[in-house]
Parts: sequence; structure tokens; C-alpha cells
Amino acid sequence: METVLIAKNITKSFSKGINALNKVSFTLVKGKVLVIMGPSGSGKSTLIRTINGLETFDEGELNVLGIKIDSNIDERKIKKIRRRVGMVFQQFNLFPHLTILENITLAPINVQKRQQTEAEEFGMYLLSQMGIDSHAKKYPNQLSGGEQQRVAIVRALALKPELLLFDEPTSALDPERINEVLDAMRNLANQGMTMVVVTHEIDFAKEVSDKVLFLDNGKVIEISSPDIFFSNASHERSRKFLNQLDKN
Amino acid sequence: MAIKIKNLKILFLREIKTKISFKPFSFLLNTVLISIIISSLLLALNWIFFKANWSVINSNLSLFAFGSFPSDEQWRPLLWLVILSFIALINIFGPKWKWLRKNLLIIWIGSVPVGIYLLKGGFGLIPVMSQNWGGLTLTIFITICSILFSLPLGILLALSRRSSLFMIQKFSSFYIDIMRSVPLIAVLFFGQLLIPLFLPYGLEIDRVWRAIIGFTLFVSAYIAEDIRGGLQSIPKTQLEAANSLGLNKYQITRFILIPQSLRVALPALTNQLIGLFQNTSLMSILGLMELIGIGRSILANPEYIGQYIEVYIWLATVYWILCTLMAYLSKQLEKEMSSNKGY
Ligand SMILES: Nc1ncnc2c1ncn2[C@@H]1O[C@H](COP(=O)(O)OP(=O)(O)OP(=O)(O)O)[C@@H](O)[C@H]1O
Ligand SMILES: [Mg+2]
Repeated sequence: METVLIAKNITKSFSKGINALNKVSFTLVKGKVLVIMGPSGSGKSTLIRTINGLETFDEGELNVLGIKIDSNIDERKIKKIRRRVGMVFQQFNLFPHLTILENITLAPINVQKRQQTEAEEFGMYLLSQMGIDSHAKKYPNQLSGGEQQRVAIVRALALKPELLLFDEPTSALDPERINEVLDAMRNLANQGMTMVVVTHEIDFAKEVSDKVLFLDNGKVIEISSPDIFFSNASHERSRKFLNQLDKN
Repeated sequence: MAIKIKNLKILFLREIKTKISFKPFSFLLNTVLISIIISSLLLALNWIFFKANWSVINSNLSLFAFGSFPSDEQWRPLLWLVILSFIALINIFGPKWKWLRKNLLIIWIGSVPVGIYLLKGGFGLIPVMSQNWGGLTLTIFITICSILFSLPLGILLALSRRSSLFMIQKFSSFYIDIMRSVPLIAVLFFGQLLIPLFLPYGLEIDRVWRAIIGFTLFVSAYIAEDIRGGLQSIPKTQLEAANSLGLNKYQITRFILIPQSLRVALPALTNQLIGLFQNTSLMSILGLMELIGIGRSILANPEYIGQYIEVYIWLATVYWILCTLMAYLSKQLEKEMSSNKGY
């Protein structure tokens, strides 16, 4: 089994004394889905953003797709990682001045130097897979939140990534729009995409994830299979958190 | 039908009644104001149509348009002005094809070399020295060249001001602050008097180009500040998205930062353009025969002595029409951009 992601004792503090991440270690195997859960401010975003170099860290070591990075910033390695790792954000972050198709083909054409027609064809194919190819010529603000987020997923997929990162992809959506995005992610997981997902969607995590990492105050409290985590969490802290989620 | 009209009349009267109250004092005030307005309007119209002697304009139209450009060659500046109006018309009324809209800026930029060729001559056309360029042609020439040069320079300055390279950042901040604290006329004097001193012996830049350099140096600083405002309005998350796609710094600047900041800065940039157009009139003090300069030289002709009101009213009208046109053009552009990208 090929290991895609190895994190060893990742530590980071924004201000002295308070650790946003505290000796975080985990591994992820190719084709598996890791769900990260934890209360607000526990460091979930910080952790997932270190994986593609949007956030630096102070100590520890990270191995992404065989590329090793540590606290010394190496722009070239980070560029290499970003070319092979896609990311989807909570607020979609589409480029408002470009059409949907231009949003999707920008990186394939300019980063991977692919032909425009080829990139557009592939983009249209991915859009039709998501059922939103009719919007290709529109601008992001003409789409609903759920549609925009699916475009953001397509934009990440257009680079044929080997690993996909999701930071709360459904938190900014209306409840009735959440499922269309989760369905898309489910399909990806079924097709064997390796994913790291920060989410509060318990049903999704139960069904799709292979491992759940529970984070609190920057510390890994436990890493368990979803069956165990959701029915019989080993730690008091995790159980409390799950109770709280159930209530909401 | 009749009833309808009557109703309208009543409505209209009521409107007036509510707008103009009939209390004694305000009634008096309104009557005085209205009679002042009406009588000055009548006086003005009377002057324009019966008293004024417009022959000073009529017989000098070609001077106002082309300056002392040789009369056999005046089709050249005329052709250029026609081309410009044509592009402006396409801009306003033309079809909304996307490829056309995307290339309009390039067409505008392309109008400059065409203008230089037509004015200057050479390559089959009789050369005309820039001393003979003048009138509206020269005003428009200086405006378009200056704005097209200062736009990229302004963008560059704005980007340098955010640069992580210390020297570049300090230099552009220094430059912008200096230019913004010096009056334009000083920069123009500098252009006319000092640029020749700095140039190596034998190299000469003629007056028109010195003026354009002066305006470009000045306006680019202001444009840089407008663009900086645009850059600051772009949320950090846009950069994160671009970074996570693996785009490099240059690509992010070119595809994300510049287009978005230009969009935000567009209204401010229009103001720069209109201001620049009006400020070209300062060059008449420095001896260029642009619109105002031509007006002054015509007034110096004994034949037209004392007709300055006619001349300046005429010039004001020309400036007013062109400024209104520019404002309209940019409104159109703004609408077009926000109709599909409403952000
Ligand atoms: N840029 C920053 N500067 C300073 N502190 C930060 C910064 N980003 C995050 N933090 C701090 O780091 C800690 C972890 O933040 P992070 O955003 O990773 O939490 P999170 O688990 O993603 O929370 P949420 O569920 O609200 O998104 C928080 O205490 C936060 O205040
Ligand atoms: Mg977060």
C-alpha cells in the first residue's frame, strides 16, 4: 500500500505560547479518506492548510506524495506539491472576473501547459459529471452556492490531482444545498480519490471516511475508524463533542 | 382621452403646488429666483444668437481642429480623428461580441501608432514637424498617449509598492509621494526645461513628447494610487485559491490581481482621464498650440481683437462635449463589466 501523506510531530504557533498545532502525527494511504473533526479553533484549518503549504509550521516533518517539507520553507517543493494536490475551500473562492470554464481551465493551461481546447474539453467533461455543464459560460455570482462549490471541486479536479483537500466544503451552504456537494464528494471517494476532509457532517463521515482524526486545542485526541469513533469513542472529549454536534 | 389629459394637467399642477409652496416669503424668493434664471437665460440666448460674432469661430475651424497643419495634408489628422470617433462609437453602440469587447483595448492602443504615423508622416507621407501639430488633434493626441503610457506605469508602480523587495518598494513609494505633492505645472515645466539638460548631447526630444512625458510621470503616480485601492479590495482568499492551484507570482498578478483591481479602479481611472484631458490646456502656457493655445493665438490676431468671449465659450463647449463623451464611455464600460460580473 502506497502512503500518500505522512505527518510527523507537526507543531505550529501563531503567537508565542499558544500552539495552534501541537505534535500532530498521522498517515494516509492512497485511495483512502481521512476526516478531520474538532471544535471551532481546534486547528483543523491550520492543519489541512499546512499540507499544501498555505500555512508554514515550526517543527516536525511532512511527507506529501514523497515530497518532504519541514519548517524551512522551500518554495520549489511547495510548488511541486501544489501541482499534484487540489484544494476546496469553505467560501468556494472562485475567481469572480472569469467564467466558470475559464476558472477551471486557468491552471491546466498556465501551470500544466496543456492545450486550451484539450483543457476545455476535459473541463466540460468534469462539469457534465457534476451536472452543471450548462453553466460553463456564466460567471460565479450567477450560480447558487452549491453550484459554485461543485465548480470549485471541478477546478481542483481539472489538474488531475493525486490528493484532494476539503476545508469545511459545506459549511457556507444552505441546508438544502449541502447534499449536492456531499454527493459529488461521495462519488469521488467511490472512484478511489485520496481525500482529507474537514467537516461536521456526521453521516457523510460515517459513510465515506476510512479514518477520523479528532483534534482539540491543536492536539490529536484520537484517530479511529468511523465505526468506533461515532459509536464508541474512546475519549471523554470526543464523546462530549459528538453529543454537542447531535444537539445542533 | 380628454379626461385623461385633464387629469394629467391637474396632477401636474398639484406637483407644482407641492414643490413650490405659496407661503408669502418663499413665494417671493421663488419668483425672484425664477425671474433671475429666465432673464439671464434670455440674455444669454440673445447674446448667442444676435449679438455674438461667431465669424471668429467659423473662419478658424480648421485652426481649432488641426492647428497649423499644412492644409493639403489636413486629411491626415482628420482621418485619425474619424478613426478615433469610430472606435468610440463601436465602444458605445457596437455589438456585444465577446472577442470584440476583449480586443477593444488593443484597438485603442493601436490607434496611437496610427496617429503618430498620420501626424508625423514619413513612409510615403510628407513629414510634418510637431511644431505644426495643434488644436483639438494635439489635445487628443497628448491625452491618449499620456493615458496609455501612464496606465502600465501606474500598474507597475502600484505592484512595486507591494513588492517584498525593499528597494523597489521604497523607491515606488517615494516616487508616488513626490509626484503627488508637486503641482502638475511644475512637472510640466520640468519636462519642458530640464529634460533636454539631462539628455546626452545630440539626442533631442521635441516639445510634444516632453509634454507627454511630463503628463505620464505625473498621472502614473495618481493611477498607481487608484490601482492600489483596487488591489487592497481583493480578498486574501483569492490569493490562496490561486496559490493552491499552483499558479506562480507572475501568473497570479496577471490573471487575478490586475484584472480585478482594474475593475474596481475603473471609475477613479475615468476621473484621471477626464482630468488629464482638461489639464492638457496647461500646455498653452508652455507654448504648445493645443486647443487653448490656438484660441489664444487667434485672439492675438488684430482682426479678432476683443472677441475672447466667443472664443472661450466655444472652447468650453468643445471641452464639455468631449468630457461628457468620455464619462459616458466609461459608464458604458462599467455597466458592461458589472452586468455579468456583479461584484
Ligand atoms: N492567521 C492567524 N493568525 C493568528 N492566529 C490564527 C491564525 N489562523 C488561525 N489562528 C488561530 O489558530 C487556532 C486554530 O485556528 P483554525 O482556523 O485552524 O481552527 P479551526 O479548527 O479551523 O476552526 P473553525 O472550525 O472555526 O474553522 C485558533 O485559535 C485561531 O485563533
Ligand atoms: Mg476552519
